[in-house]
Amino acid sequence: MAYVSIPLYKRTIPQRYKLIGLKCKRCGWINFPPKGICKGCKVSSEFEKVKLSGKGTIYSYTVITAAAAPPEFSKQEKSGGSYVVALIELDEGPRIVAQLVNCKPENVRIGMRVESTIRKIYEDEGVVRYGFKFKPVEESLK
Amino acid sequence: MNILLGEPFRKWCKTMRKVVLLSTGSTKYGRIDVTAREAALTAAKEAVEKAGIENREIQALYISNVFSMTERQGHLGPLIATSLGVPWIPALTIETACASGGTAFREAYANVAAGFYDCVLVVGTEKVSHLDVVTATTYFSYGSDYQFEAVNGASFPGLYAAMARAHMHQYGTTEEQMASVAVKNHENALHNPKAHFHKKITVEDVLKSRVIASPLKLYDCCPFSDGASAAIVASEEFAKKYTDTLIYVMGSGRATSPAALFDRENMASIPATNLAMNQALKQAKLSRKEIDFLEVHDCFTIAEIMAIEDLGFCEKGEGGKISDEGVTARDGEIPVNPSGGLKAKGHPVGATGVGQINEVYEQLMGEAGKRQVEGAMTALTHNIGATGGTCSLHIFRRGD
Repeated sequence: MAYVSIPLYKRTIPQRYKLIGLKCKRCGWINFPPKGICKGCKVSSEFEKVKLSGKGTIYSYTVITAAAAPPEFSKQEKSGGSYVVALIELDEGPRIVAQLVNCKPENVRIGMRVESTIRKIYEDEGVVRYGFKFKPVEESLK
Repeated sequence: MNILLGEPFRKWCKTMRKVVLLSTGSTKYGRIDVTAREAALTAAKEAVEKAGIENREIQALYISNVFSMTERQGHLGPLIATSLGVPWIPALTIETACASGGTAFREAYANVAAGFYDCVLVVGTEKVSHLDVVTATTYFSYGSDYQFEAVNGASFPGLYAAMARAHMHQYGTTEEQMASVAVKNHENALHNPKAHFHKKITVEDVLKSRVIASPLKLYDCCPFSDGASAAIVASEEFAKKYTDTLIYVMGSGRATSPAALFDRENMASIPATNLAMNQALKQAKLSRKEIDFLEVHDCFTIAEIMAIEDLGFCEKGEGGKISDEGVTARDGEIPVNPSGGLKAKGHPVGATGVGQINEVYEQLMGEAGKRQVEGAMTALTHNIGATGGTCSLHIFRRGD
């Protein structure tokens, strides 16, 4: 069962591969993922594309186990035990949901500095879906 | 907030008619062997009988349902209206994820208040037990921002877990405090014959149950339930023909939060709750102190803690502490979820919000048996969709 079709996934590739957000031409707010109307001024729909740095801080996190994995990840959960999902506040402002890699679950902390990395997210319809995950900046935490 | 409480709202408060909750009905929650449309009929029949009206007096039908497509059945309105013997009345399905029941009630209320109808039926119904856990979790996840939340690995337990972690970090809330919510709601459900679970649990049971999405464990999470609940909403004039005990809908609040958790300023709070509460209180001209008990949306233990804070029954960050201290127990200062809540009464998604209103009806009529909140005259229902994208909230008061 394909939950997100290949064309639908493809449409969000600028976000998933390059963290492309929309900067409001009126107020400068960085919108990620893209919005129809700017989240900052709630008026403008004039944007320019900007590439986010991929650096940020962990705002909150959870270790997903058992039945809590979305279907795309149930195989991953069954084979590798649990995995960390974090809410990350990017340096440019937007927050995003992403998996955390290169880090033991017991070492994750709120406030930890992280950076994005391109990884395999899951496989569906015989096609590997790539996208962003995050990893700790500090070597010692890995 | 200013927009929601502005001139149109004031005008609406002045011009609308008084609305009465005439009766309610409900199936048992848990696992049922019939379809969602059949369960809806059982609940509706009980409500109609309790009201003492004839089916043909129902002028419109509001259905709340989220997952009937998994039963390969859509367009429930005409099906249920036909089965009720009123195949001509306008009928529709309303979906706002887990808040569908409260939202359907709100639409019914608004139409009666506006003078469109005098007597309408609201039915919330859900059947999910035919689905395996992965499929059910998937369908539930469709209520989030699927592309950017679920696809990056977070399901609902994961998102609420992130809210819980943020709450613990910001306010020092503990896993023991969250566990106390589950213990209390299981205790209350022991006295609710229609509850999904009749099982007493301890804080230790909760803490020792398996981790679902840390810090949430199995007993921090509500179950997937089947079930249906119904309510008859009527104008005051119509209701007076059938009863002397009038339960008035005093306030109705509705608001939205950014759909995705990552778009919220503070993830340890649901902004729509506060917005809806302010509307309902202002409309009802009541203070929090006058509300005798609450039925809040406790899909996870942390959700109840956030709800009582965002509703303003304690300071932000104190929710865990007051839960642990017994303030929210059935005989506490602010009884919360005397029905057992979503946690133990069960969570048949589309039915849940209407089920909360069923509890209010039984309590305010003094028919709640062993779980009766002594002398309850005023009550509040708080129904949330997904991680707080939708809030539907109502205040009821017995008019004598």
